[in-house]
Amino acid sequence: MSGLTILLLSTVTLSAPLILAAMGGFTSERGGVINIALEGKMLMAAAATALVGLGTHSAPFGLLAGIGAAIVMSLLHWLITQSFRVDHVVSGMAINAIALGGTNFLDKAFTDPAHAGEIPKFPLEAYYVLAVLVPLALWFAARRTRPGLHLLAVGSDPDKARQMGVAPLRVRFFGLLATGVLCGLAGAMLVTNAGRFTDGMTSGRGFIALAALILGGWRPIPGALACVGFGFATALQLQMQGTELAGARIPSEVWQVLPYVVTVIALAGALGKSRAPAGLGKL
Amino acid sequence: MNWKLLALVIGAVALLAAAILATDVAPLEALQTLLRGSLGSPRAIGGTLKETTPLLIAGLAVFLALRAGLFNIGVEGQLLVGAMTCTVVVLRLPGVIGVILGVAAGMVAGAAWAFPAGWIKAYRGGHEVITTIMLNSVAALLTTALVAGPLKAPGQESTTTASIPDALLLPAVASGEDWSLSLALVIGVVLTGAMAWWLRSSVGGYELQAVGANPTAAETAGVSSRRVTTLAMMASGALGGLAGALQVLAYEGRFYSGFSPGYGFDALGVALLAGASAWGVLPAALLFGVLAKGGTAVQILGVPKGITGVVLGLLILIFAAVRYRRVQCPA
Repeated sequence: MSGLTILLLSTVTLSAPLILAAMGGFTSERGGVINIALEGKMLMAAAATALVGLGTHSAPFGLLAGIGAAIVMSLLHWLITQSFRVDHVVSGMAINAIALGGTNFLDKAFTDPAHAGEIPKFPLEAYYVLAVLVPLALWFAARRTRPGLHLLAVGSDPDKARQMGVAPLRVRFFGLLATGVLCGLAGAMLVTNAGRFTDGMTSGRGFIALAALILGGWRPIPGALACVGFGFATALQLQMQGTELAGARIPSEVWQVLPYVVTVIALAGALGKSRAPAGLGKL
Repeated sequence: MNWKLLALVIGAVALLAAAILATDVAPLEALQTLLRGSLGSPRAIGGTLKETTPLLIAGLAVFLALRAGLFNIGVEGQLLVGAMTCTVVVLRLPGVIGVILGVAAGMVAGAAWAFPAGWIKAYRGGHEVITTIMLNSVAALLTTALVAGPLKAPGQESTTTASIPDALLLPAVASGEDWSLSLALVIGVVLTGAMAWWLRSSVGGYELQAVGANPTAAETAGVSSRRVTTLAMMASGALGGLAGALQVLAYEGRFYSGFSPGYGFDALGVALLAGASAWGVLPAALLFGVLAKGGTAVQILGVPKGITGVVLGLLILIFAAVRYRRVQCPA
């Protein structure tokens, strides 16, 4: 394979889980739930996919377990933010802590000696297709379908939505359910690609996905394109590692830092007006 | 106590017990080991106090921001740049002056790192949580790149700066055969008292809390909530930088990649547990210190260290639920 083909292929492989997770962020943030827990949900899904996949020797069961685990975390998120009325940010932090600790626990307690087995998997191409279809579907849903419009209404102004007869708790429940499914797919894809589960293997991808969503102005297609941009930067960094550019060796951190710096600049409003959902974080 | 909270607590305890049982360790034995490993001997207590120090000062940083209505998740990053800056200054300018300037530089670096988050929140409406999370990653990558490159000690294999001479490190206030109490912890306790006093009795402290409680009302009363928000974030960042600087000068003696095992994140838990008074940060930091030190002991029993993360998350949830319930239902 030529260098260019490898670069493009690894861009796709690196972007797809980001897109799936960012779309998971879309379905909750557009409903008004701040979601810094994408990272934890993905990680939990990755661990469950690996654990159950190894245990049952079945790819579908592994994937279902991954999605199920992310759904459980997501519904926990719904329960504590909407029913217990805990601050969204605090809830997200707690979910990340539980997922990071919990996956370490599961990994060490149940799989350590059995780490050698091969995890049955679906072809990566299936995830590629989803990463293209999901943003398009969400774009359509948010503009043309009743549930999609309800989601946007709740995210923009929960009080007014309530007056119009839309129940924010119900809408957010389904929004977070969708987040679980999408983060589950993202986590399962990470395991599929790596071939195994490692401690903390999401390594900040949940936050990069959130960054991409913000950069895309909380819209599905621009958000997905931002994910591709970040994926490309990472792919480029991997390929350029060790090579020199104009006589100087560029530290790989320069590429890695790109998504974060761009997001801070975007939040400062340098890239146009902030388009955050107005009801973000409201009860 | 209402039934919802009760359900949350029971669920959390049951989950933990089930997790520990799954590893074939009796939960009571695990708890005993945890307490013995963290409080059972002078040596264990010394280790717990060592873990408590950065959590206390970083916890105060988060707490201060919290009083102003800001979630400073960026203490981790502020701590990293503070620690690195302090190390560089102390290595360049030896002597006591260098140490003092080093601590000051660490605080300035922390404040500078927090500034964008505060400014964007106050003037652009970008949520501080997102900016601070991004700035954390930038800080981690920047400091890693610097200690791997220009700041790397000559002749070292690993990514670390040179070591600060022992004579310049903070002395122990008291010490025994196998334990010691660093000056850094004493500074932390004094700071706690100072902050409690400042928040309660000064105009600045009152304004900060007024903005935290209700920015619109504070604005009506003539307080510039934008200015206070920006300054509060910077003050919080300065404390985060101080936590890093003192960690270098009291315990580590150098800066290296992977310097903080997540003090800034644990500090958020500390500040949330603290309640409404700065004095609450002390017991909260101690509790997290016990968990951190005792967690290592429990690991030897065969309980993976991840269990402390789960405990941390559940504790944060329960306390946050209690706290927000109290705030929202005044009756």
